[in-house]
Amino acid sequence: MNKWFKTGKPYIWLTAGAVSVSLIAVLGLLALIAWRGLSFFWPAAIHEVEVRANDGSTQVIIGEVYDREEIPIERLQESGVQLDGFEGITLERQLFKVGNREFVPLDFMWVMEPQIIRDETPKDLAVIERAKDGNFYGYVVDVLENGESVANSDNIRDVLFERIERAVELNEKAADLQQGEIGAINYELNQLRLESRALDLEGKLTEAEQQRIANEEQALRDAYQELEKELFEYRDAANRDSVVMRDMRGMEVTLPMYRVLDATFPNDMGVFSKIGHFFVQIGKFVTEDPREANTEGGVFPAIFGTVFMVLLMSVIVTPFGVIAAVYLHEYAGKNAVTRLIRIAVINLAGVPSIVYGVFGLGFFVYMVGGSLDQIFYPEALPSPTFGTPGVMWSAITLAILTLPVVIVSTEEGLSRIPSTLREGSLALGATKAETLWRIILPMASPAIMTGLILAVARAAGEVAPLMLVGVVKSAPMLPVDGNFPYFHLDRKFMHLGFHIYDVGFQSPNVEAARPLVYATSFLLVTVIVGLNLTAIGVRNHLREKYRSLEH
Amino acid sequence: MISVTPNASNVETLDLANLTPEQTALEIRNLNLHYGEAQALYDISMNIPKNRVTAFIGPSGCGKSTLLRCINRMNDLVEICRVNGEILLHDKNIYDKNVDAAELRRRVGMVFQRPNPFPKSIYENVVYGMRLQGVNDRRTLDEVVERSLKGAALWDEVKDRLNESAFGLSGGQQQRLVIARAIAIEPEVLLLDEPTSALDPISTLTIEELITELKEKYTVVIVTHNMQQAARVSDQTAFMYMGKLIEYADTNTLFTTPAQKQTEDYITGRYG
Repeated sequence: MNKWFKTGKPYIWLTAGAVSVSLIAVLGLLALIAWRGLSFFWPAAIHEVEVRANDGSTQVIIGEVYDREEIPIERLQESGVQLDGFEGITLERQLFKVGNREFVPLDFMWVMEPQIIRDETPKDLAVIERAKDGNFYGYVVDVLENGESVANSDNIRDVLFERIERAVELNEKAADLQQGEIGAINYELNQLRLESRALDLEGKLTEAEQQRIANEEQALRDAYQELEKELFEYRDAANRDSVVMRDMRGMEVTLPMYRVLDATFPNDMGVFSKIGHFFVQIGKFVTEDPREANTEGGVFPAIFGTVFMVLLMSVIVTPFGVIAAVYLHEYAGKNAVTRLIRIAVINLAGVPSIVYGVFGLGFFVYMVGGSLDQIFYPEALPSPTFGTPGVMWSAITLAILTLPVVIVSTEEGLSRIPSTLREGSLALGATKAETLWRIILPMASPAIMTGLILAVARAAGEVAPLMLVGVVKSAPMLPVDGNFPYFHLDRKFMHLGFHIYDVGFQSPNVEAARPLVYATSFLLVTVIVGLNLTAIGVRNHLREKYRSLEH
Repeated sequence: MISVTPNASNVETLDLANLTPEQTALEIRNLNLHYGEAQALYDISMNIPKNRVTAFIGPSGCGKSTLLRCINRMNDLVEICRVNGEILLHDKNIYDKNVDAAELRRRVGMVFQRPNPFPKSIYENVVYGMRLQGVNDRRTLDEVVERSLKGAALWDEVKDRLNESAFGLSGGQQQRLVIARAIAIEPEVLLLDEPTSALDPISTLTIEELITELKEKYTVVIVTHNMQQAARVSDQTAFMYMGKLIEYADTNTLFTTPAQKQTEDYITGRYG
């Protein structure tokens, strides 16, 4: 045994074991959230089950099996459930998602396995995805146009799909109009109001100016009337059709087509159409806006907000970090003060992130933002422009949070550059600044990128400080749009990390939100990995380019 | 005694102590240098003649490289280094307060022990000094590249791949590239700090031949630990020991009839 220790083999096992544990932990985590998140998009079979209650009455339930669990019978009996004639210690119960939120008290139901007397998956069962009130499960009975039936039992699906496509198209047009041109007019009207107020404050609001502003306003309002008419036309057109469904109570329900987003018959799908549907659903998830208090729809604004904020932060943190590192490494005297500063910088990385959030709120938002409002936007007061949390303050706060990382790795990069290259440049008559700019900084760029990679990795996952300085549950507008000046850094934004928290813990419908938590987590990890891989790609390219004289 | 073949070329012997102003490139006067408390150079005075090759020899740590680096003020980069005394270039002390070190280094070029090309293309390496001076005209730069690479005997080997990375060259080629880079800005003096110590014998030979050619246009000062090399390439040689200039004479004289016992001991291989 002693001899075996001396060979060093135990240490190999120990170290390899440590690596394996880390690897398994990472892969297990990824696999879990990927499985839980992605399986949500897979079209699940819809069951029609008949359940006999203890009193002998039966009930039909239509829905997808959402979850199953084994529970001890004893516990059920304690909680007052009457179970007669069941043997065993535990029994299985299933959670059905039955949808049809406006017609049933709860859109999720627990069913005891032994109570099921019939379980079928008829091919005609449909899932109707709706813009409001969630999914509807049931049989398609008829399709109506202006209240008249336009389908028979042979072509009902084709007619349904065709009408849905039309309604979705019209809805999209209406939404484009509302967010595009109507949004632009609203924005301009607001700018006009601010302009008038600004002139008033400066005492330059002459009759002529008043007249001009009134004229412009009138022109905009006229244009608005036109567009509004167009918008209503689209809405009316979309309102034309409706679909009649029979739900699990056996009642026929008419659903207006303009709220229908999609219809699927998952029990009648082959594997390939299921795969196709799976990817379509994922595509919708990443490109659409959230609905129903974030529990349905996509997360596009959150993806956009996260990436935009991280990019903005990179743009801020890189020059600051590099300049600070250059000063510390190249110009600052090598004395106690410099060492103290360096220790302080490294310690900044250890400050809890919420502290940065508090600092950002107090200093940037209230002090700096408040002063900016006083100086540049007095016409908008008392409603703040920059004196309120927004994407710019979030980016700056996270830039401070990640500054130490960039400084430390840039400094390391600077000290790795062989002194012979510095001397070579100086010997050709370059000044220190020219040498820095032409030789040292390009060669340190891979190290700068490493710093940036670490900064991005940290910033993209940070949520706590953002809750104080700019993130919201639902932002009406993206920070980038078609209205001059295109980048609206004062706006609040959505963030994937906060979205997870919000959906998971602030949601009114816990069961419906749970898969979204996993899906969003998986997406956040994917976004961070994507950002990092991009940065790593750039760094490797730079490394290859500046591969120096490592003899 | 090791075999030393003195410089074959028959150049006129100069009276090193009393050079005429036309013959002088550099005058070093009473130069003392300290690294912190430790003194590295003791009262060095010597004249370096124009368009000739002057070699500094001596055992490791004797201060020959330090002296060389004084000539283009490379020692300024060492914070604890203090220099007293004068080095006159055209009768002007390069250690005067109003002398710009960068401007001085344009006139006194330097090549280091290890080839240190920049992480750029061959072309950009050569024109680096020109670009620093604000020369960006393509035609001028092309001419400079051709002239310098020919001057450094590298043109034929690299003329087809000027835009490739300089790191693709062999060690000897890299060192000639560095020489080309130095002569691209047409300095008056070229300082070579053990330029062949990291190279193989064939590359060394090429560089030595190059040095002999370079002296037609430039004043060359070379530090070497290789006595045969000093004997082969230089016109006059200075022997240094423990930070002092022991003997400075014509290369032929120094290697055949050294005046000092220490010099004789060194060149006969008794120490060093």
